[in-house]
Amino acid sequence: MLRRKLRAPVVSSFLAVALPPGSDAHTRLSSYVPKEDEHEMDVDTATSAAQVPAKHPLPELEIYCYLLVLIFLIDQKKYNEAKACASASIARLKNINRRTVDVLASRLYFYYSYSYELTNSLAEIRGNLLALHRMATLRRDELGQETLLNLLLRNYLHYNLYDQAEKLRSKAPRFEAHSNQQFCRYLFYLGKIRTIQLEYTDAKESLLQAARKAPSTARGFLIQCNKWAVIVRLLLGEIPERTVFMQKGMKKALRPYFELTNAVRVGDLELFRTVADKFASTFSSDRTHNLIVRLRHNVIRTGLRNISISYSRISLPDVAKKLSLNSENPVADAESIVAKAIRDGAIDATIDHANGWMVSKETGDVYSTNEPQIAFNSRIAFCLNMHNEAVRALRFPPNSHKEKETAEKRRERQQQEQELAKHIAEEDDDDF
Amino acid sequence: MDPQLREVTQLFERFKAAFLRSDFDTCTNLLSQLKVLLTKFPSLPPSFQRTPNAVEELTVARDIYEHAVVLSVKTEDQDAFERDFFQLKPYYTDTCGIIPPSPQEYPILGLNLLRLLVQNRIAEFHTELELLPSSALENPCIKHAVELEQSFMEGAYNRVLSARQTVPHETYVYFMDLLAKTVRDEIAGCSEKAYDYLTINDAKKMLMFSSEQELFQYITEEHPDWETKNGCVFFQKAKESQPSKEIPSLQLINQTLSYARELERIV
Repeated sequence: MLRRKLRAPVVSSFLAVALPPGSDAHTRLSSYVPKEDEHEMDVDTATSAAQVPAKHPLPELEIYCYLLVLIFLIDQKKYNEAKACASASIARLKNINRRTVDVLASRLYFYYSYSYELTNSLAEIRGNLLALHRMATLRRDELGQETLLNLLLRNYLHYNLYDQAEKLRSKAPRFEAHSNQQFCRYLFYLGKIRTIQLEYTDAKESLLQAARKAPSTARGFLIQCNKWAVIVRLLLGEIPERTVFMQKGMKKALRPYFELTNAVRVGDLELFRTVADKFASTFSSDRTHNLIVRLRHNVIRTGLRNISISYSRISLPDVAKKLSLNSENPVADAESIVAKAIRDGAIDATIDHANGWMVSKETGDVYSTNEPQIAFNSRIAFCLNMHNEAVRALRFPPNSHKEKETAEKRRERQQQEQELAKHIAEEDDDDF
Repeated sequence: MDPQLREVTQLFERFKAAFLRSDFDTCTNLLSQLKVLLTKFPSLPPSFQRTPNAVEELTVARDIYEHAVVLSVKTEDQDAFERDFFQLKPYYTDTCGIIPPSPQEYPILGLNLLRLLVQNRIAEFHTELELLPSSALENPCIKHAVELEQSFMEGAYNRVLSARQTVPHETYVYFMDLLAKTVRDEIAGCSEKAYDYLTINDAKKMLMFSSEQELFQYITEEHPDWETKNGCVFFQKAKESQPSKEIPSLQLINQTLSYARELERIV
């Protein structure tokens, strides 16, 4: 890896080559790089002497130098210097208005936020990031907007400010994603916000999409996505497959969630409590503790469903005992819990209040209802949607396949492509 | 002492005196005057200027808004509660380094959670909950609201009702009473589905009515389709759950057409 070879002498000699010695940027940046032994310094001066003519360096080159020094400082764990350097670079960036700098700038924004996150002072730069986002929007720097929006969302979520994050997200301009990485992050943050706001179906979709789109080398990100996706699916009443937890390199990290899933699947409130206590520290460091608390309700539902399938008639005190509801008045609790489950359609039963029984109804033939049709439809919709997404994500290098294409033909093809794209977009509008 | 600050403090003393006398009209009047005066302090949100008497100003302002929130509960004005609470919130979140935390913080936050629960704004309830540190969940006021939400979601309604006796703060009673009404509607909705019939006595007990008269009135007002005869309440069940004999043709046609269109695009 090139990044590991980044050492002080290399950086300082690069600075000497790239920036005119004595210039503002050069002195400032060199001050961050520690001077090593004399020998290296000799090399520096020698190379810089040879390259002197570059009087007015390109702004791109200067920004690149900032980026390089910043990465170097972060790798060396000099976080306070990194913060200072990042702030200086952002101040410089604000004065440069060139579209060619945008890509480098978006990398700089990322490391700017990262250096503040490492020193745990993200709140300080929120105003600055907002200003930068506005600037990027005015300059139509879409990559910058994308990056900054993600950084802002990360910033808000770091302090659990879900409300502000959602308000910003819903009002920020959206456009087709330019960078896959940024899009993955965006989906992940979106999934988190949706989960907190109880929109589990949408949350599941975003989280799974984020996990699917993320490169397989981003293991930490994938683990986070999977953790959240598991909880959301549990909250939805689904049981994630075993293979989710057995993915390579994630087995250990997902262990607490695996045991949790098991407890929910069995519907044993006692087991659920033990698991929640056992991994309490993991859950609170993952900040999923409040979600785990929400799961209690699902555990009861699953337990109740199991009971209603196994017994055609069972007394309410037995239900309370089987669910291990420990409260002052378990029978009354059980009765109202069963009543609510019946109303929500979780179980098909009636209660005989006089005798204190729960009577399960005969399960009818599923195939006589619309249930299979609905399930089938949702799967077809998923596949078709996947196909459309894939088509839309395809990128063709210009002119590579049709060298000899005439101008007229090309115009025709482009028109066709545009129509198709428009068609797909319209379809989407219809759907939502 | 700064003259403006003195004026506010004096007015606030009068407000507190009126508050103790439960003279809420005077309180409301004084409160609006106080709010106008507060706008002149530069150290308050959103500007947070570090003036020499920032600490006193912030403390007084926070105290005023805390009283405003409690006042809105006493006058049973939920909109005012929401407004005052949002004005108060920055003092809890953004002044940590400047003034010491208020002893009223958790009771008021718990009160707000309860309000969101009563208004059935569960998503906001959870968003607010996420903002609290894990140590806050141990606080009786917060814990009360969290447990209520859990019992409510589970359907353990009698636990919700018995929680009224264990309110951590007297101001909570107002919202608990509102919650009781919501709970009654929920129970009615559940019973309708879960039981074939109930004796009038049981129904009365379950829906928490003290007399049969009230029960009958409730039934005629809210659930005219329930039938009372032979000392029992019968819930109409005829309309539900016939297995689908009818084919939802329109929906099917729509789906099939969309498949055809999508397939055409692929091929």
